[in-house]
Amino acid sequence: MLLSRVADSLYWGARYLERAEDTARIVRSYTELVIDLPTSALSTWEPLLAVAGSSVLFEQQHEGTIGELPIVRYLVADQHNPGSISSSVESARENLRTTREIIPREAWQTVNDLYLYVGSNAAGGVERRSRARFLGHLIGECQQLDGVMTTVMNRDEAYELWRLGQSLERADMTTRVVGVRAAALLAAERRKAEGDAIADIHDDVQWMGLLRSVSALQMYQRATRGPIDGAAAVRFLLLDPTFPRSVASCATRIREALSRLPRSRRTLPVMDELERVLAASASGDDDGASLDAAMEDVQAALAAINDVVHEAFVRSSV
Amino acid sequence: MTMAHVRAGTDTWDELLAPDGTPRDAARALLDQLATLEHSELQERQTLAELDILTMGITFTVYSDGRGIDRAWPFDIIPRVIAASEWRQVEEGLKQRLKAINMFIDDLYHDQRIIADGVFPAELLEHSKNFRPECVGANPVHGVWAHISGSDLVRDADGTMYVLEDNLRVPSGVSYVLENRAISKRVFADLFAQQSILPVDSYTDELNRMLTSIAPDGITNPTIAVLTPGVYNSAYFEHSFLAQRLGAVLVEGADLVVGEDDCVYMRTISGLERVHVIYRRIDDEFLDPEAFRPDSALGVPGLMRSWRAGNVAIANAPGAGVADDKVVYAWVPDIIRYYLGEEPMLANVPTYRCHYPEELAYVIEHIDQLVVKPANESGGYGLLIGDRATRSELDAHIALIEADPRNWVAQPILSLSTVPTLCDGEIESRHVDLRPFILSGASSYVTAGGLTRVALRKGSLVVNSSQGGGSKDTWIVETD
Repeated sequence: MLLSRVADSLYWGARYLERAEDTARIVRSYTELVIDLPTSALSTWEPLLAVAGSSVLFEQQHEGTIGELPIVRYLVADQHNPGSISSSVESARENLRTTREIIPREAWQTVNDLYLYVGSNAAGGVERRSRARFLGHLIGECQQLDGVMTTVMNRDEAYELWRLGQSLERADMTTRVVGVRAAALLAAERRKAEGDAIADIHDDVQWMGLLRSVSALQMYQRATRGPIDGAAAVRFLLLDPTFPRSVASCATRIREALSRLPRSRRTLPVMDELERVLAASASGDDDGASLDAAMEDVQAALAAINDVVHEAFVRSSV
Repeated sequence: MTMAHVRAGTDTWDELLAPDGTPRDAARALLDQLATLEHSELQERQTLAELDILTMGITFTVYSDGRGIDRAWPFDIIPRVIAASEWRQVEEGLKQRLKAINMFIDDLYHDQRIIADGVFPAELLEHSKNFRPECVGANPVHGVWAHISGSDLVRDADGTMYVLEDNLRVPSGVSYVLENRAISKRVFADLFAQQSILPVDSYTDELNRMLTSIAPDGITNPTIAVLTPGVYNSAYFEHSFLAQRLGAVLVEGADLVVGEDDCVYMRTISGLERVHVIYRRIDDEFLDPEAFRPDSALGVPGLMRSWRAGNVAIANAPGAGVADDKVVYAWVPDIIRYYLGEEPMLANVPTYRCHYPEELAYVIEHIDQLVVKPANESGGYGLLIGDRATRSELDAHIALIEADPRNWVAQPILSLSTVPTLCDGEIESRHVDLRPFILSGASSYVTAGGLTRVALRKGSLVVNSSQGGGSKDTWIVETD
């Protein structure tokens, strides 16, 4: 038995936490990438905003200041950015506050610890010298929370709602990374191959950074045992059934979760649609534009699942 | 570290130390242990306890400037100790008291024999803010209305334990009894191994048993819900805690709906599900906008209808607050004698009722020697301690009393007992009270000890957490 209101809070609590963790991974790997590359190859931090889906909001709030620190601050510590790490953690805590009798006590303690930690350290985590430590700690706490949920919580409806929110958010973040950065890299590689005289983009380093931003580099290398190839990396992130952060793996978990929740029949059509657009995304040309468009289709399918979940579990009992 | 210097004067009772500065029997093991600790070690244990409270998210909410702020629960590691032999008598006294009070409430909503027999004045009932005509003739299971109550106890200079008030509406604090114990078990793990301290953890089991015992139609495995006003209520932490320990569902008003069959249902992801027992933590007036305040968004339309039809149990029953009134309080000894034919086992504080002209006159004349309280406020609001007020504060209160005399009572200023307390690294004595919780259903139960609240400000008698109060663990210790 799960109250509709609580279902909503669990789902969003899980989404916000996953968002905070994924944003942390992305900012961390991008920082490493920038430090690695010669200054001529990559001087812009704007792709980071695009991945986080925050470009428009940021531009509205910042005129002309698009340097590293304003952007990182905006993504990590800005209370006015609803998608920042600190806002996400705060929203997660607000949601999970009303689920304390549902989630394991240790899970709530971890969320609370995380909230306190972010509250007192986020601003300091913007500077390069302390950034990796801050983001690493945050990711660690999120993983601890995931461990608690996995090892302690009953496999009941509340757990499935949690997994649902987490998997949906994770899939969404992975498609953003692919849609923005992979698409841009593929486009640059194609121009280079066609003889366009652009500077060396150090694409291997960039692909490594991209894989790292979803913690996929090591697993990609184990799975492929070869040098990094852009198209293969994209396929790995989207479709690899063995990598738990790939979009396909997330889709499998979403389907599993939905099938264990009541009224699962209602969610079947949108679930089928997600798998259809995901399969189609891999069949396009290896150019940036079609990949970007395909990712928008996947994101639209994820948004449709979100709407149906809300309709089935929250609204229909009102 | 020794306590020799912390003794309060001879006009106050200390819970741990005898007047000559030696430990009271039940506190001996504790004080011996404290004596082996350096100042800094004690402070370190206090700091660790506070850290636990922060990470466990044990909070209460304070309202200021219209904003709720979540504060860490204030806790002092030095416990208050009571001998088990004494506690057994307090326990019996509380059970006796609640048994009579429940009979009184049931009588008021039925035949009103106590008024017909001239023991309780009819005009008091007519003016009672908490008497609910909507409840007349209702028959809660076992005839029990106040299922969960928290009576505040204080100890005067001569060592007598008095009941200061009975909280019969939605008393809070019991979760902190359990949390305080969890923390002090960490702080003084060694002591718990060495002596027999009665456990408090069984409270939620007892609460579950009691709530099950009042389910409608003899249902043996009822669905129990804790009804909270929501996350912004100052006691939300407790509501969540209790729901979790009870295995109950924590609901807000909007989660519930009364069906056409007059049964209560909750909205779940699978549709509507029946609820049998509601442990409500919202006040009567907000329970049901159809019966009480129409503007209440916290309640459930039709809930009273369902309750009167016997389709749902509500604890505490609507209307139980009629006996939680500082005026009715003054009659409790008579109520006990009337219904049980017994003498009260626990003392009542002598209470002047401004309702009566001669007692009103006494109160006005001696206001600087009395504690004056509004009859229907909780949390210490509106309370005035005569010997600590300025003349203009006294005059302002006299004007309030004369404007609405029935709403005021006064009592002699008791000297609340003290317990040594860690204050800014020093041990000093601070005043305390005690709120045990009493469960009444098919049978009754009293917590082993209860919530000791401590006035952290030097000399202060106000123990409410909203006004600078803290808390201590309460140890009921077997001394034999």
